[in-house]
Amino acid sequence: MNCAQARLHIGADPRSESPELTAHLTSCPACRRFRDEMLTLEGRIQRALQDPPQLGARRPAPRTLWRPLALAASVLVATVAVLAVWLVQPSRSLAHDVVLHVQEEPESWLARNAVSAQGIAAALRNAGVDFGVTSDRITYAQSCWFHGHYVPHLVVQTTQGPATVLILRHETVRASHAFSEAGLSGVIVPAGTGSIAVLAHGGDMRQLAGELSRDVHWLPEPAQPPPPKS
Amino acid sequence: MRNSPPDSPVISLGERLPGGGPDAPLTQVLQSLRPDLMRFAHWLARDRSLAEDIVQESLLRAWRSREALKDPAAARPWLLTIVRREHARLYERKRLELVPLEDVADTYVAPGAAAAEDDLFALRSGIMRLPLEYREPLVLQVLGGFSTEEIARELNLSVTAVLTRLFRARNKLRVLCGMGAAPEPDGEGAVP
Repeated sequence: MNCAQARLHIGADPRSESPELTAHLTSCPACRRFRDEMLTLEGRIQRALQDPPQLGARRPAPRTLWRPLALAASVLVATVAVLAVWLVQPSRSLAHDVVLHVQEEPESWLARNAVSAQGIAAALRNAGVDFGVTSDRITYAQSCWFHGHYVPHLVVQTTQGPATVLILRHETVRASHAFSEAGLSGVIVPAGTGSIAVLAHGGDMRQLAGELSRDVHWLPEPAQPPPPKS
Repeated sequence: MRNSPPDSPVISLGERLPGGGPDAPLTQVLQSLRPDLMRFAHWLARDRSLAEDIVQESLLRAWRSREALKDPAAARPWLLTIVRREHARLYERKRLELVPLEDVADTYVAPGAAAAEDDLFALRSGIMRLPLEYREPLVLQVLGGFSTEEIARELNLSVTAVLTRLFRARNKLRVLCGMGAAPEPDGEGAVP
């Protein structure tokens, strides 16, 4: 086994103890160092894989704190209930405005030609968004004025028809919020400190929204160009 | 989320456990392995609700083909294999054809990002963003305990291809953790 083969095997399985690899390691300090590095990384990978996002167990509270915590929890529940009413309202309003915005650009649904990578980049630039999208499924990409900011407005062709995507850097939502209005159905999901709205003529957009929200990256916010003249 | 038929193991698990029916050992195994299956499915599907669907369907399939499990000790790899296949089926059946996220995932793995964030959080995020072709063998190996040969059989790949994918998966995570990319072996083991 040579160094290239050894490193391929170490990189593929740092815990491998095959006789060939072991024999190589006894005579190759560089590959031994590489394996030590990979073993360190492996421990971290193992710890990371034990706990997927959203599956993390909560740390149990000490028993002695049970009563004060229960009291605090009851106050918290009441507070959350009040806040929930307050928070849901803007989300509904946001959904309404998203629907209105899409209705104002009906031509966006009709585009069938793929937007170039430069066109997509231009739509994302004003919002400081890195989306890494280079798909030929995007048939519409504009930077639109929405709630006082430029936001990327994309139309993505899916197997369920075209879906509008608005990337809303300045709109915070606490939880996924599905809505249906004016024959359109959609969902607004949290994405970092902002949110993403996905809207279509029917169909379940939650999966698409979830995928998109994981792949949006907020860059430092650029200086805003002046608002469009009405 | 799909509904389970009345005779599904998902529903009957809890009811059958106290009893001593002939399927009680299997229901116990299914129940005890459910967290593992859920974790495994979640890493594959990158979505909790989708993972729940996958696990539920997988348990149904396992239940229907329970006669195929000759050795209870082999239940875990057997079930993980069913979950993987169910994920692949769901992926083919339901995935919206839009952006090949896997193709662009590289752009999101920023060198040294882990140094600025909580290490594990960044690493989890990095694993989630690995293209499926890299994430799947990694999860099979680390979480599932499958050997390279077993992964190759399951994914219908050559052993060399699996080695390469596993190498590349870890190499991307090396970069994420600020360790620098290891040169990709260009010897006879490497696959383009």
